[in-house]
Amino acid sequence: MSEMSYRDAIRAAMMEEMDRDANVLIMGEDIGIYEGTFRITAGMLKKYGPKRVIDTPIAEAGMVGTAVGMAMLGLRPIVEMMTVNFAIVAADQILNHAAKIRYFSGGQVDIPIVIRGPHGAGVQLSAQHSQSFESFYAHFPGIKVVAPGSPADAKGLLKTAIRGKDPVMFLESAALYGMKGEVPDDPEYTVPFGQSRLAREGRDATIVSWGRMLQLSLIVAEKLAKDENIELEVVDLRCLRPLDMEPVYASVSKTHRGVVVQEQWKPFGPGAEISASINERMFDELDAPVARVTGEDVPMPYARNLELLATPHEEQVIAAVKRVMYRE
Amino acid sequence: MAEIIMPKMGDAMTEGKVVRWYKKAGDAVKKGEPILEIETDKVNLDLEAENDGTLSDLSAKEGEMVPVGGRLALVLAAGESAPAAAPEPARRATDKKDSIKHTTGEYGEAMEMKGPRIDRAAAEPSAAPTAIATPAPGGRRRSSPLARKIAAEMGVSLDQISGSGPGGRIVASDIKSSKPSSALRAPSPVATGEGKSIPLTAMRRTIAKRLSESTGPIPHFYLTVDYDVTNLLATRVQLNEVLGAKLSLNDFIVRAAALALRHHPNVNASWGDDAITQHGEIHIGIAVSTPEGLITPVVRNADQKSIADIGTEVRTLAEKAKNRKLQPNEYQGSTFTISNLGAWGIEEFTAIINPPNVAILAVGAAEARAVVTAERQIVIRDRMKITMSCDHRVVDGAAGAEYLKTLRQYVEQPVRLLL
Repeated sequence: MSEMSYRDAIRAAMMEEMDRDANVLIMGEDIGIYEGTFRITAGMLKKYGPKRVIDTPIAEAGMVGTAVGMAMLGLRPIVEMMTVNFAIVAADQILNHAAKIRYFSGGQVDIPIVIRGPHGAGVQLSAQHSQSFESFYAHFPGIKVVAPGSPADAKGLLKTAIRGKDPVMFLESAALYGMKGEVPDDPEYTVPFGQSRLAREGRDATIVSWGRMLQLSLIVAEKLAKDENIELEVVDLRCLRPLDMEPVYASVSKTHRGVVVQEQWKPFGPGAEISASINERMFDELDAPVARVTGEDVPMPYARNLELLATPHEEQVIAAVKRVMYRE
Repeated sequence: MAEIIMPKMGDAMTEGKVVRWYKKAGDAVKKGEPILEIETDKVNLDLEAENDGTLSDLSAKEGEMVPVGGRLALVLAAGESAPAAAPEPARRATDKKDSIKHTTGEYGEAMEMKGPRIDRAAAEPSAAPTAIATPAPGGRRRSSPLARKIAAEMGVSLDQISGSGPGGRIVASDIKSSKPSSALRAPSPVATGEGKSIPLTAMRRTIAKRLSESTGPIPHFYLTVDYDVTNLLATRVQLNEVLGAKLSLNDFIVRAAALALRHHPNVNASWGDDAITQHGEIHIGIAVSTPEGLITPVVRNADQKSIADIGTEVRTLAEKAKNRKLQPNEYQGSTFTISNLGAWGIEEFTAIINPPNVAILAVGAAEARAVVTAERQIVIRDRMKITMSCDHRVVDGAAGAEYLKTLRQYVEQPVRLLL
C-alpha cells in the first residue's frame, strides 16, 4: 500500500499497464509535451516516447475514430479527453462505432478503448466543462461506464478498463484529483466491473452514490452518526454500466429507506434508474419513497458560490435522509 | 344547410383539434370565408364556409379534439333553422387521458395541456409533506409498502392505525407501536362513569418516550414484596370448612388485588398515544396455561365479587380455557392481570405485562419461613413473594409501591377480604 492521490493512482494504473502490455498507448490533447491539463500524464512522454504518448490535434471525433481503428487492429488505446464534456464531439464514434462494432461483426472484433478524463463539477470550469454524463453513456448497450470514488478504485478500475475487451467511458471526478488514499502497489491489483461496494455499514437508511458524491455521502454519514445517532449505510456503485444493484437491494431490505446522491441533473439521471429498480425489486420493503439528491437543473455557473449552490451539498443530503426517515 | 366537419387530412389522421373560432354562432358568413382554425398532427389550417349563410350549432370548443367526420358547425341558409336535436358527434375532451395509441397529434395536445395540468404538490413531493393530517373518512388509507407488509404479517388492520407520515401515511413505526393492543386484539374495557381520560402532559410524553426507547414498547420495572400470609392461609382453611368449598389461595389474591385497585385507579389503567385511560371497572385477567399456551380469562368486576364467587368463576374459566371453549368476551377486556406460579413451587418471578394493562402481579408460592419479628425474635411464618411489573409510562415507582402497600393490608389482614 502507498498513500497516493487520485490523480497519481490514475497515472500509476496507465503506466503499469503500459509496462505490462506494449499494445497500450495513450493519445489526447496536450498530454505529451505539456503533460496534461490536469497533470495526469506527467512524465509519460519522456518514458514511453511519442509513438505511445501521442499529442493530437483538437479533434475529438478524429481521436476516437483513430482509436477505434487501432483497437480493431489489436492495440489498446487510451484516449484522454481534456474534459469528458469534449467527448460529445466524438459521440458518433463512441456510441455508433465503438459501442456497435462487436455486435455488427458478429462478435469477431473487440474494441478495447478507454476514454477517460476529468468529469463533473467542483473546479469552476463553468457550464460547458462541468457536466456529468453517467446517464448519457450508460443508456447505451455496448459501452461500459465507470466512475471511481476513491484513489484505490481509480487505479483498480482503470486497470480493469485497459485490460478489458470493451469501450469504457472512464469518468474521473475532477474535484477528487487531489484526494489522497491508500492504494495497493501490487501490479496485478484490479477492481472488477459490476461489483458495487458497501462503503459504510449502517442501519437507518441506504445512500447510493458513486464518484465525488460518494465522498460527500460518507462525510454526511459520519456527521449524522456523531450528531444525531443516525447510522447511514452507503453503497458505492463504482460502475453505472454494468450496474450491480444487489448490494443496494440487500441494504434497502435492511434499512427500508433509500437516498440516491448524484451530481447530475435530476431529470432522467441515474437516480431515476436506481430508484425505479429499487421500486421494481424492493417495493414491499420500502417505508418511504426513494429520495434523490441531485444537482440543480441549470447550466453550471462559473462563480464559486453559485457552483457550490448548484451541486449537492451536505444539508441537502441530510434533509433527504431525514425525509425518508420521517424525522423532518 | 351545410355541415362543417373535421376533414381527414391524411391516412393516419383520426381526429383534429379546434384551435380557434373566427366566427361565433349567429354570425353571417360568406362562401370562402374562414370559419375556424383546426390543427392536425401535421398542419394547422383554416376551414372555410362552403356557402353563404348564418353560422349555427358550434359543436366544439376551442382546444377540443373532434374525430374525423365529426360535425363542427352548421351554416344555415336564409330562412333555415337548426334542426331540433342534431345528433352530437362523438367527441373526446382534450384532457381525457384514456388513449394508449399515441398518434403524433396527441403530443402537441399533451404539451399544451401540460401547463394547466401541473400539480405542484405532486411535482415537488417534499413541498407539502404534512398538509393533510388524516385521510377523508372512508377514503383510501395511505400507507407505505413496508407498513402494509408488516400489518399483513401481524394480522393488523390498517383501519385501526393512525398514520404519522406525510398526508397521514401509515409507516412501519406506526404499525410497530400499535403492536401490543392490536396484536392481542384486546378491546379497551368499557369505562363507566368513574373512568376518566387524563391528557398526556409534555413531561409524561417525554418519560414515556425515553423509557420506551430504553426497553422496548413497554418500559417495564419490577417491585417485589414479601407478604405474611399466615393469617390468609388460616382464613382459607376456615372458609373452606364453613363453605365446604375448595377455594385456592389465588382466589383470595384476586379479590385482594381487585380491592386494592379501587384505591389506585392509576394502576387500573391503559396507555394511549394521547391519553392515559383509567378504567372505571376492575376486570382481573388470570393467566392460565393451556397445552397451546398462555391465555388470560377475565373475572369481571372482581372487586364486587366474593371470594367464593371468584373461586367458582376462575375454575369455570380455567376449565373452558383448557378445553379451548373460551368465548372472546371471557378473555378480553382485562384491566389488570395476575399470574400465579405458586403451584409450581416458584418462589418468585417476574411477569410480562399483558397489554393494554399497565401492571401484572407475579405471585409465588406460600412457604413457611424463618422470620425476624419486630421484637427481634425468630419465628416461623408463612410468607409469599409477589412481584409487580409496571408500565413505567403510566405507573411510576412510588405509585406501584403505594399499590403494593395497600395490597399488603388486604393480604395480611384477610378479614378485610370478607367485608
